[in-house]
Amino acid sequence: MRETLRYVASRLATTFLIVLGAMILLFALSALVPGDPATALLGPAATPEYVQRFIQEMGLDQPWYRRLFSFMANVFVGNLGTDVLSGQPVTQIIANVLPYTFILTFTSIGLAVAFGVPLGCYAATHRGSLLDHLLAFVSVAFIAIPSFVIAIFLLLIFAIWLDWLPVMGAGEAGNWLDQAQRLILPTIALSVGWIGFIARLVRSSMLETMGENFIRLSRAYGLSNRLITYKYALKNACIPTLAVLGMGVGRLLGGAVLVEIVFSRPGLGRLMFDAISTRNFPVLQGTVLVVVLIFVLTNLLVDLSYAAIDPRIRRQGSR
Amino acid sequence: MNPDLPMIAIRNLKLDARTEHGPAHILRGIDLGFGRGRIVGVVGESGSGKSTLVSCLLRLLPSNIERLEGEILFDGIDLLKLSPSDMNDWRGRKIAMVFQDPMTALNPLFTINTHLRDVLKRRFPQISAREARERSLAMLTKVGISDASARLDAYPHQLSGGMRQRIVIAMALLVEPDLLLADEPTTALDATVEAQIVDLFDQLRQDFSGSIVFISHHLGLVAELCDDLCVMYGGTIVETGPVAEVLARPRHPYTRALLDCEIEDDHGGRLATIPGEVPSATWAMDACIFASRCAHVADICRTGPTALETVAIGHKAACKRSREVLP
Repeated sequence: MRETLRYVASRLATTFLIVLGAMILLFALSALVPGDPATALLGPAATPEYVQRFIQEMGLDQPWYRRLFSFMANVFVGNLGTDVLSGQPVTQIIANVLPYTFILTFTSIGLAVAFGVPLGCYAATHRGSLLDHLLAFVSVAFIAIPSFVIAIFLLLIFAIWLDWLPVMGAGEAGNWLDQAQRLILPTIALSVGWIGFIARLVRSSMLETMGENFIRLSRAYGLSNRLITYKYALKNACIPTLAVLGMGVGRLLGGAVLVEIVFSRPGLGRLMFDAISTRNFPVLQGTVLVVVLIFVLTNLLVDLSYAAIDPRIRRQGSR
Repeated sequence: MNPDLPMIAIRNLKLDARTEHGPAHILRGIDLGFGRGRIVGVVGESGSGKSTLVSCLLRLLPSNIERLEGEILFDGIDLLKLSPSDMNDWRGRKIAMVFQDPMTALNPLFTINTHLRDVLKRRFPQISAREARERSLAMLTKVGISDASARLDAYPHQLSGGMRQRIVIAMALLVEPDLLLADEPTTALDATVEAQIVDLFDQLRQDFSGSIVFISHHLGLVAELCDDLCVMYGGTIVETGPVAEVLARPRHPYTRALLDCEIEDDHGGRLATIPGEVPSATWAMDACIFASRCAHVADICRTGPTALETVAIGHKAACKRSREVLP
């Protein structure tokens, strides 16, 4: 128990340091970008007086350490600055799109796990069977096809030709059925690649585990195949899969932008993309910071689940 | 069940594995029988087929097996003819196994209690979790583990190699098998721990009614523990019989050479070795298997393979010249 607590504390400390580092990097990025952020944002047509006022309002005339300090102090109280274009608080803008990104990310990862893990187990236990070969082919194909291509095909087939599902946008606010229906195709588009990836990964780590001596021992004692596969081997095979899932969540959070564009969904990726194209620094900074935060927290969760699964990691962490 | 029949009767067991250089004859026709309550020591160099022999008894063989012939009669039932699911029914019920390397034999992610409980539940489906725990505790104490309750809740990495081997032995005894296979159970352990584990086997035989097949490359250890001795060489049995008889009057030059290789005080320094190499497993065996390394080899030895012949009551050796050279 003390081992576990110490492990959790050490992971939390690391997480905090990573977030701090990310904030410093983000600040440096905005400070180091060539050109004057004020002219970049306001465009060449702005009058010198207006530029001057803008610089003062944004605090751009302050020395860098002052700016860094106020940036961090603001972040800690949840203030990510103001959108220079709309004048809205960045925190509010992000909070508006965050639920859509969260739902899409977790339904996609959930679907990928729900299909990938059993398929991988099946392929490992029926090595060389027709389904194993078929799965290998299909997985590689799905990993290779970019998700937006799949998104366009899904859109064409299920929304336009067959007209089974409504698409475009995230759905009417408050209408859960409509929102759920509009979630289906983006979720599938994002998860097929991950299904293939997770299935391959589970298959290979499962096969590796199946060759271990302790599995031979379970067989020598006549334990059922089901018990050996789903209790003893799967738990071992989970560990590499978890690491990939942690990365997957991070990728989907900010990387779903193309699928979001195809389906006209709001989301963090979309927000970030728009902020880059309009050089909207406060929004970009805030969005990246939120993505970093979620990514780091997900990895903290992955580390903690490692420790829950593998008693040896608990001990290493506390040393 | 016929009481006159030995519990285990292996007849002309042959096993070939697929390799790049053609079939490898891992077992070249094994004949071996023993009764209930015996401890049979199987000795031989690495590659002599002794581990494969126990794998055959469990029918847990690697996938590159090309040919498996002969009979393994267990109380008159041929294990090689059983369906896979019937064979699985024998494992962990009538046959149990202790593995060579205790460091890798237990799953690192599960407690000792989980390991023992699952094996017990498979053997005695009616058993409750509480009773399984009680039996496990009693058995751990019996195999010499102190503070058994804490050990039961420990993970494998928290225990030493010797302790893990005791746990695997406890697992084997918990299922109350008729046949216990021990595949070099002490090879991976320190010399002092090895002696403890051998003592443990010696104590356990008092209450254990089944038979034990104890594989080792250490002749002295087998002499201490076993009733019968079986010497393997190149996938064949070259000599078999009661331990005392075989060690006192070895009738095969290989057994004799093995005995000379054992560490003894009066050797005056150098250890004896057997010159040459074990013949390749792909060799077709058109002569005595030991001919290439035998100090007493003669023309008659090269006329074909040598079969086991009875040289005394219960004592067999596969040497055509045993009466001349080892009287």
